[in-house]
Parts: sequence; structure tokens; C-alpha cells
Amino acid sequence: MRTDRTPPPFERVLVANRGEIAIRVIRACRELLISPIAVHSDADAGALHVRLADASQRIGPPPATESYLSIDAIIQAALRSGAQAIHPGYGFLSENADFARAVESAGLVFIGPPAETLESLGNKLAARRAAKEAGVPIVPGTTVALGGDWNDLGALGFPLMLKAAAGGGGRGMRRVDTPDEVGVALDAARREALSAFGDGTIYVERLLAPARHVEVQLLGDRHGGLAVLGERDCSVQRRHQKLVEESPSPGVETATRDALFASARRVAGTVDFHNAATVEFLVDADQRHYFLEMNTRLQVEHGVTEMVTGLDLVAWQIRVAAGEPLSRSVLDATGRGHAIEVRLYAEDPYDDFRPTAGRVTAWQMPAGPGIRVDAGIEANTELRPEYDPLLAKLLVHAEDRAGAIDRLRRALDETLIGGLQTDAGFLRWLVDDEAFISGRYDTRLIADRWSGDHDLADGDAALAATAALAARHARTSNPGGPADLGDDGSAWGRLGRREALRG
Amino acid sequence: MTDYQVRVAGARVAASDGWRLEIVDARLGIGRLVNGLASLPVLVEGDGSEWVVTLRGRRIPVTVRSWRERILADAESTAGAQVGPIAVKATLPGLIVAVAVSAGEEVTEGAPLLTIEAMKMQNEVLSPRAGRVIDVTVEAGQVVATGAPLLRLE
Repeated sequence: MRTDRTPPPFERVLVANRGEIAIRVIRACRELLISPIAVHSDADAGALHVRLADASQRIGPPPATESYLSIDAIIQAALRSGAQAIHPGYGFLSENADFARAVESAGLVFIGPPAETLESLGNKLAARRAAKEAGVPIVPGTTVALGGDWNDLGALGFPLMLKAAAGGGGRGMRRVDTPDEVGVALDAARREALSAFGDGTIYVERLLAPARHVEVQLLGDRHGGLAVLGERDCSVQRRHQKLVEESPSPGVETATRDALFASARRVAGTVDFHNAATVEFLVDADQRHYFLEMNTRLQVEHGVTEMVTGLDLVAWQIRVAAGEPLSRSVLDATGRGHAIEVRLYAEDPYDDFRPTAGRVTAWQMPAGPGIRVDAGIEANTELRPEYDPLLAKLLVHAEDRAGAIDRLRRALDETLIGGLQTDAGFLRWLVDDEAFISGRYDTRLIADRWSGDHDLADGDAALAATAALAARHARTSNPGGPADLGDDGSAWGRLGRREALRG
Repeated sequence: MTDYQVRVAGARVAASDGWRLEIVDARLGIGRLVNGLASLPVLVEGDGSEWVVTLRGRRIPVTVRSWRERILADAESTAGAQVGPIAVKATLPGLIVAVAVSAGEEVTEGAPLLTIEAMKMQNEVLSPRAGRVIDVTVEAGQVVATGAPLLRLE
């Protein structure tokens, strides 16, 4: 073991999350010689993240509101386990100011920004005003809550986007193309925002299209140090949620990149934070950029930046939370090569990306040079409808973008997931799509190019027929042999029946 | 050898010339399709006449029926032409967050019946046809499994 290293920032850290991100944080803890403590709901008692930690605390029944979102249960778990700090991951309580405050008042360290920062950035409308005051361009629209009188919206020009002030993850968002649609869409957005965030405040932005969604990764310490760690392009989206992220962005010019970094620094200057953070922008066809929002937490897609910079963002989150200043090598970090992340979701891309569910059977992930898989599940995992449908993130890194795409194609060809439909078929299509390969794509890529028509190619139908026919023959002609797939509970037997029932 | 008929998406399909299946892991259904020097990883799950083949990430349902199974299936589909009441079932597991209709109500085809929240997303269950709601067997707040009866339509 190294003797020249600084002592671990904490002895024990509670990881207040589940799935792949809990595992990601647990791994960072291990490398920092910190003892990681997991938490679990009753549904996750035997989950992978629980087994990878040193110990795990039960925090409640399966519904997230009674477990992973229960501030009290998590604080109690941290105190019981003797942890000095809590890492919230992303989602759940990661941007909850009340939680950050409760952690601090329990005498523990919140691995994240101060509660006041979460409060001011959590309100997207307030963040919009702050960015504007800091001289950063914002998407044209309102800077006050939309009231009952929305007749003058026409001046902004349609189409418009209605957005929830407390929003995130694409919820509470509605596109409006004509004035007549405003009423119905506003009601729907309000209802969704109220149920998801407990706040129905809505504001309006003009819909910018074509546009790319580009975000800048920041890392700040408690001593005023701020590192700008490049950008990520997140333009491949469905339902305003990201599916693919890459760095550097193939769609921003050098001058635009510099302007994005400068704007990101300016937005970061409006709040006090010591953590990983992301400032999100839209970049239009004329390379003009507009501030969307700032998140002071770890992003799902942080790994893309880790691959191009070689830094461990999660380890740095923990280190700066303990008071360590960012090192020179972090402050001066630059990118090398190109990284792409694709998200493997339990969703059916042939049915409008509707969530699927069930038990994952076969689970074969790619490996080899330049490949990273952050997975929260393993073979035989039963997916729970209560939680996020993200199965794994597949990341590739190569010398340049073309090399990264070739590597991603190879990686997807090595990937086999059984038991349920995932978006892997869409991702495999994407790596051969002309627009994606050229790098000249925008947020409309899925809507425009992944059409609603998903007729099976004749060749693929024939190949599927070949495989199924051969499998049936193998079973019939070789009873008792290795290819006897019998009715004794083997994966083939069980799945066939389930799938048939589902019809 | 049994003479099987293979259907993909309802249409009869002949097997691909020159391709054969090599089984890698029979328990998990992992295999590869091989044709000369070309090969393609594939996942084959199922048994009897119902199979699902995963090819380049896409799950493709395939029916492989013997002569006897074809006769039985034809008889069933003739008898099963939907005339009487039908049960609307959950196509995904989740939490019932809203029920938009009640017993006795007339609905049109495609009308929203109820909303199921799964994986943090709200999914509307639409009426498969026009008719009168006989009864609703679930209520808001209830968690349902895939295939659970939700309501009956006359």
C-alpha cells in the first residue's frame, strides 16, 4: 500500500442511493480507503450495491417515498452506522435542500453544495433570472411565473415550451404549437409538476429548434477553486431525457466552446458551491448559446468527462467535501480523445420508448480496450416498477470520434440482454445512422429519424426464424443432452411461457 | 423431422439459407448464427411453439408450430373471435394513479380509461374498443402486476 498518500477524507461514508450510481460511489470510497455503507429498501435487500458495501442499513418498504426519499430514515441510518458523511448520488434526495440541512444539523457532512445553493438553483425560474443578471444569455421567454393571463404569449412566437419551475428530468414540460393549445397543456404541465415536485409553478421558453443540448462540467472546492472540465453533448433525447452523451461536442466550434465555458463560470459565480456541477445550455444553428439550468450534483453522464479527462469526479466530490482544495492537475485538466456514453434502459424503442419490466435473464456486457460499463444489475435481477428503468451505462473512449463510434458498435454487438426489451436495438441503429455519424444532429434526431415505423427487415425476420426453428429442433431431437432446454425451469422454458402470456 | 411452420409478426417466414444456430449457453439461450465466415450473436428464449429471438438488440417474437399445433391454434382463433365482454388488462406493472371511468359509462375506442405509473412515467391505458364499462376492478393507489384485470367492457 502507498505510504505517501494523504489520510482518507472520511472513515465511513453512507451512500444514500441504489443501483448503478450507488455502486459507482461505493467504488470511489473503496479507492479512497473509505468504508462504504449502503442503504436499501425491502425490495433491494439482496441487491448488488448492498453486497458491494461493507454494511447496509434497511431504510423502509419498497416505495421510494418511504425509503430512498425518506430524509429521517437516511439520517438515522447514517448515525447508526457511524458514517461521517452522506453521498446522495443523483436523483432521490441529491438536490433536496431540506435533506442537505438535515444532514448538517445531524453533525454530518453533506457531499454536495450548501442547502441555500440547492434552494436557489432548484427553482429554475430564479436560476434563469440570476443567469440573466450575470450577463449570460437565456432562452427567450418569461422570467416570472405564468399566471392566468397568458394571452400575450403570442409575442414570444410559437412553438413554445411550458416548463416547471421546480422541474427536472423532463417532467412538467409541454410543447405548445398554437395559442389554442396553451390552456390544456398548461393544465397538464401544472398537474404533472404538482404531483412530481409539489410545486405547480410554470414558466415559458421559446422552443429553439434546431438546437443542441450542451452542458459544461464544473468542479468547485471550498477555497474558491473552480475547474472547467469540458463539455458534453446530450442532444440525443426522448421525452426531453438524455439517452446518449458525448465529449467533446461534435457540434460546437472553438469560439462557441470558449463562450460556453465563460458563461458557465459566470453562472457558477452566482452561487456558493463546492461539488461537481453542470451548467446546461442550448446551442442554436448559428452557434449562439442560451442558459437552461445549473445542477450542483453528480450527473448520470459524469463518466463521459471522466474518460476524456482521466479524473475521478466522484472521488473529488468526496475530497472537496472534506475540505481538500482542488489540485493543480484538476484545475489545469484538459481532454484527450473522444468519449461516448449510451444508456441501456428497460424501454421499448419500437413502442415509443415505453417502460418494460420483468426479470433480466441473460446479461452479457462488453469488455476490452476503451470500454466502461456502470451497471446496477446483474443476471437474474427482477426490475422494480418503483425505481428508475436505467439498467446500465455503456461508455467508450477512443482516440477520436470515428474511433469511438466504431468501438461503440463493437461493444453493442457484444452486448446481450435477455428477458425484456431494452433500448439496445435503438442504440445499435444509432451508431450506423448517417446524422449521428456525421455529428450534425440536434435534439430532434429521435423524432425525425427514428420514425414510428419499425417494420422488421425481411432479412432479420428470416434470421430470427432460423434461430427459433433451430432452437426448437435442438430441444426436440436431443432430449437429455446439453441442448435439452426442457421444462425443468430453464431460462428458455420459463421465458417462453411468460412472453406467450403477455401476448 | 417434424415439419414446422414459422411465423414472424403474423407472416410465414422461411429460414435463411445457409445460416445455422450454434448454441453457446443453452440455459441462458445465448447462441450465434453462423454462415460461412459471417456470424451474429443471438439470444433465443422460449419453448414449445413460442420463442423470442433477440437480434441486434431487438426482441422478435417467433412462433414455431407443428402441424398439430397449427390445427389447435386455428380452432382457438375461430372460437375466440371477440364478441362478448372483454377484460382490459395491465400491459405493464405499476401503480394505478388515476381511474378516468366508472361502471356504466360509455367509452369510445381509444378513450383514456386509467393511468398506470411505472418507472416514474405515467402511462394511459386506452380503450381497445367502444362499449360500456361493466365494472372497474382496481382503484387509484393500488399496485398491479402485468396481466392483472383492470376493468371489463361490454
